[in-house]
Amino acid sequence: MNGTLAVAGNTFRETIRDRILLVVVLFALGMIVAGVWLASISLGQQGRLMEDFGLVAVSGFGVIVGVFVAAGLVHKEVDKRTVFVLFSKPLGRGQFIAGKFAGLAGTMSLVLAGMAVFLFLVAWLVSGAASGWLLVAGVLIYLQVLVVMAVTIMFSTFTSPILAAVLGICVFVAGQLSHNVLSLTRLGHSAVLDGLSWLVYLLVPNFSAVNLSAVVVGEQRPDWAAIAGWGGYLVAYLILMLAVATLVFRRKEF
Amino acid sequence: MTGPGTDPALTGAGRPKPDRMETASQTIAGQNMAEPAHESSTEAGPTPAGRPPAVAIHGLRKTLITGFRRRRVEILRGVDLTVGDGEVFGLLGPNGAGKTTTLKVALGLMRPSAGSVSLGVDGAGEIGYLPENPYFYDYLTGRELLRFCARLFALPDDVREERVERALDQVGLADAGGKQLRKYSKGMLQRIGIAQALINDPRLVFLDEPMTGLDPVGRLEVKRIIEQLGADGRTVVFNSHILSDVAELCSRIGIMGGGVVLWQGKVSEATPSHGDGLEDFFMEIVLGSEAAGELSASSCSTREADS
Repeated sequence: MNGTLAVAGNTFRETIRDRILLVVVLFALGMIVAGVWLASISLGQQGRLMEDFGLVAVSGFGVIVGVFVAAGLVHKEVDKRTVFVLFSKPLGRGQFIAGKFAGLAGTMSLVLAGMAVFLFLVAWLVSGAASGWLLVAGVLIYLQVLVVMAVTIMFSTFTSPILAAVLGICVFVAGQLSHNVLSLTRLGHSAVLDGLSWLVYLLVPNFSAVNLSAVVVGEQRPDWAAIAGWGGYLVAYLILMLAVATLVFRRKEF
Repeated sequence: MTGPGTDPALTGAGRPKPDRMETASQTIAGQNMAEPAHESSTEAGPTPAGRPPAVAIHGLRKTLITGFRRRRVEILRGVDLTVGDGEVFGLLGPNGAGKTTTLKVALGLMRPSAGSVSLGVDGAGEIGYLPENPYFYDYLTGRELLRFCARLFALPDDVREERVERALDQVGLADAGGKQLRKYSKGMLQRIGIAQALINDPRLVFLDEPMTGLDPVGRLEVKRIIEQLGADGRTVVFNSHILSDVAELCSRIGIMGGGVVLWQGKVSEATPSHGDGLEDFFMEIVLGSEAAGELSASSCSTREADS
């Protein structure tokens, strides 16, 4: 546990000193511009449009930053040979992977919290009211970002950082469309297609189980049981990804 | 792996040596033991009777598979090496001889293809390691790096802070401890590397090319540190190409070439005239083994000094 915390603290420090939090400033500037533009075209629906657009932006920014930083985390340690120093000390490979993930998760919590709070403020300024569900949605988007980070770290243990980042983003996009994949099985045209669809549906994280935007803008009533179940599923999925990453990384020699 | 000792002194003189018969040794064994280890009568220097050697390597082989065509490259071809408890041992050899790979396998950074490595310490908590050409997190200050390394050993807060300050002081970086590592010179990085290797007060220290990149003053400081470690009864194994330093610091040496240990024994046996002839001796062993074809895969053998 000590080793995991030490690596997590070091990773947090590394990412903060890499000025990742500047993303929040970029996001804030983007939101101000978008707010002015949406106000000019939305005919009284500014608040709703702002919330909808803002959630997509939070998710997009979060995933892109999380994936690209996660893709280089493990590779950089191997490439710069700092692993020699780490693994000659009482630090297990699993502790290392968990520590790298936890450190980046800490940084991304600040990034996501900053963006969610700013979105809430902008939505409130534009329409005079903002749904408190925005902040709940922010937490759930954070969980999705964590899952995509874990997937990317897993890929980065056996591929290059660029490929790991591309695969991570592919998994995120596929996860958003996973309900469509499942609907293919209902067509029943081919057993092979059905089998493949189920396989993809099971392998790719399901990011479309809860429609966050619909809840935030008031089109759908929140189903707490579904949200809690989905959250549990995402946590289980990311733990599984980190376990696979550890298994692969244990076989590595330096 | 168990935790490190709690002795706060980094290199306190007269530090009592724990009885190693009471500690389990750390052993790394290769998967393929079909090929027998070379018969070896390696006799370590000052290891007291009944105590296990600090490092015992038998028949160590390492084969890497490289490239698209999966070519097999034999890096180590049957290394037999014994380092006694409390020795300062120099591992010599030309580039590509297998010195660094031997250390990496001993430290568990690589898996052996065959053979065994046994370390007379109680886990990684009692080992210090300085890699060759070390790179450290350049966004950290020297002090932050040492704190981070100390946390990996789960040292209590008060002990950790004391060790960090002692280590900085010991390598002459007390004034530069607050500076980011990206602003360190190569010599300063080498010294902070030695400091991190000593942060856990190790009983067994591996230093891979510790003098590389150091100016004469830095080199002298590192030599004094190694001398002090030896005087405190710690076991030091280091690789170096600077033969005069090896002759000055080591009680025993091993000369590697082509993935085997060509010769090991006391420095005095290699250099009868007080260290003047180590270079000649080294060349004689390395060139002699090449001429005799000892570096071919079929005839790797270990020559022992008459002791």
